[in-house]
Amino acid sequence: MKHSARILFGTFSLAASAFALSTSLSLAQTPDTCVTGVDMATLGPKGIVGQGPHGEKAASPDELKLTDDEAAKVKAGKFKVGISMQTVNLDWSQLQVAGISETLAKYGVTVTGVASAEYQVDKQIADIENTIQQHPDGIISIPVDFTATAPTYKKVGEAGIKLVFMDSIPVGLSSPKDFASMISADSQGNGQIAATILASCMPKGGTIGLVNFGVDYFSTNERTKGVSEWMKANRPDIVLKQVDFTDPSKVSQIAGDFLTGNPDVKGLFAVWDQPALDTLSSMRAQGIDIPITTVDLGLQSAIEIAKGGPLKATGSQRPYDQGVAEAMAMMKALIGQPTPAWVGVQSLPVVQSNVLESYKTVFHKDPPAELIDACNSAKPKCN
Amino acid sequence: MTDTKSPEKAAVNPPGGRSALQHLLQGERPYMLYVAFAIMLIVFSLASPWFLSIDNFLNIGRQTTLVSIIAVGMTFVIISRQIDLSVASTLALSGMSASLAMAFVANNWVVGAVAGLGTGALIGLINGVLTTRLEIPSFLVTLGTLSGARGLALMVTNTKPVIITNEHYFAIFGEGSVLGIPAPILWTLGVTVAGILLLHYSVYGRRVYAAGGNPTAALYSGVHIKQVTTLAFVLTGTLAGLASLILSARSHAARPDVVQGMELDVIASVILGGCSLFGGRGFVLGTLLGSLIIGTLNNGLVLLGVSSSLQLVIKGAIIVAAVAFTRR
Repeated sequence: MKHSARILFGTFSLAASAFALSTSLSLAQTPDTCVTGVDMATLGPKGIVGQGPHGEKAASPDELKLTDDEAAKVKAGKFKVGISMQTVNLDWSQLQVAGISETLAKYGVTVTGVASAEYQVDKQIADIENTIQQHPDGIISIPVDFTATAPTYKKVGEAGIKLVFMDSIPVGLSSPKDFASMISADSQGNGQIAATILASCMPKGGTIGLVNFGVDYFSTNERTKGVSEWMKANRPDIVLKQVDFTDPSKVSQIAGDFLTGNPDVKGLFAVWDQPALDTLSSMRAQGIDIPITTVDLGLQSAIEIAKGGPLKATGSQRPYDQGVAEAMAMMKALIGQPTPAWVGVQSLPVVQSNVLESYKTVFHKDPPAELIDACNSAKPKCN
Repeated sequence: MTDTKSPEKAAVNPPGGRSALQHLLQGERPYMLYVAFAIMLIVFSLASPWFLSIDNFLNIGRQTTLVSIIAVGMTFVIISRQIDLSVASTLALSGMSASLAMAFVANNWVVGAVAGLGTGALIGLINGVLTTRLEIPSFLVTLGTLSGARGLALMVTNTKPVIITNEHYFAIFGEGSVLGIPAPILWTLGVTVAGILLLHYSVYGRRVYAAGGNPTAALYSGVHIKQVTTLAFVLTGTLAGLASLILSARSHAARPDVVQGMELDVIASVILGGCSLFGGRGFVLGTLLGSLIIGTLNNGLVLLGVSSSLQLVIKGAIIVAAVAFTRR
């Protein structure tokens, strides 16, 4: 036993010392021509590109402003609103809830509670039924599922409670009969931003890999559609290849294998930031340095963009602003004013040169020290 | 090292007097596992021009690292007639612990490693003590720690990832290489060799077989089954901690929501590798092969461009077929 313990210790010590000596990482630098060819002033759609789930045209959040009379009515109404989320464990959902709660509070509307369904349909159904029992005047919610939750959401309308959706609408519900408004990001516009920057890094006739979510989901479908349609219209020379994942925890493996099987791929689009980071870790492991763009902004993706590595850009949502729009739509509905069926909140292009400012815009707070440090070490490109 | 007088040896020596070397190479089901793996390699090599390359085998090695490393520990747990469902959550919490230690104690890879491995070992100890001292079935104990450890991992930073900036840490656990072999693969090899020595060439290993194979006989032979079992859980927890260091070094951050459900891949690898869910049987090299078979299957199906939904169906069918095949 003692002997084998010595062998064990020896093996580990040897391995650890060898690794400690081996600090040379096989990362090559990405060419500087990338991204600089894009005019940041004109980047990204100026309005909303995509259409709502039922082909609706997008309305601007400006259409949801309250007049002084309307604001007074809301304040006098002493309304109560419940929130039902798919999870509260994401920056995205926390910012949405902050946008909703802070806006409602300004007008004296009380938030009765925030339920988190943890992505489970049965829990969300129970959450909504419990919220109905609290007799609020309105419910703001993101459906975990399009079909299974639909009958429960219909009950909300039948109970005389106003309903505002974020991001998607369950099957069979229509505005204004069953709900007031749906507020979402312009996913297709975000896809276009990612496409424009990625294209600037691609040689003529190059091949791009799309790391796509293989589950039929409105907002992720729209992002990939935004990229492929933009490429077809503006860079028809570029060849598109696609790999789908259904389990987000497997992206690193799937993207790594995809790159091995498709060595012609010289640029990547990943459908949101975490899959992009997982793809990036695979690329590092294989010593591949090709540009990648994505949609959504988190702290880690912001740091990667700030450092000036392979992650070049993201088309970000503005979840706090979406929350503000949801609150405004809810208050319009509560005082009986008509509301647009779909409100799209404009995309935000984030690249190395504007990442600090963009972080503030998206998160409504100052960037944390890690991001500032990453940016400082990449000055002057990052500011 | 081999104590011929120790009573447990008589209790656990495999029938037919097979040597430890035979046990190491063959487990209880000789050849079939190797045949299954060889068939898979041949089929994918013929079907995809990209499969048969050193780079791709390094890919598979890297991708299977986490499962392989934890599965070595799980082999000890399952042979001793227990199960550990908490390994994925242990990995998540250990990773958070390592990254937070580097962020708040000292930005030094040793500090991170000690915190990560220590957290894993501690959860293993809790699993072991609750299972053996309170005599609660390990399925229930580790179901509890699965939930508890994940909850703690999510709570500790309010679900936020923790960024790691230590270049030595990246090199040692994630991105460095020796003679072109990536660090994660070297760690897998190191753990496998250590696991083989411990299970097949040490008194402790024989006690593990005894505890799982025939607990009554082992008890009467003077084996401290509770100690042996607890140590198996500690070993698995520590290896989950090591896996967390590798994962967080590769992704430059620790995230609390990583590898959910990975315990099933780990258990599948161990069982596919010839270990009996009823204890007393299994071998480390088989576990490694089991993990490589699942990893190769994942890799090959993506290279062939099989749709993601069909991949799951094919993978399920092949795993069941392989287990049936290797157990005949």
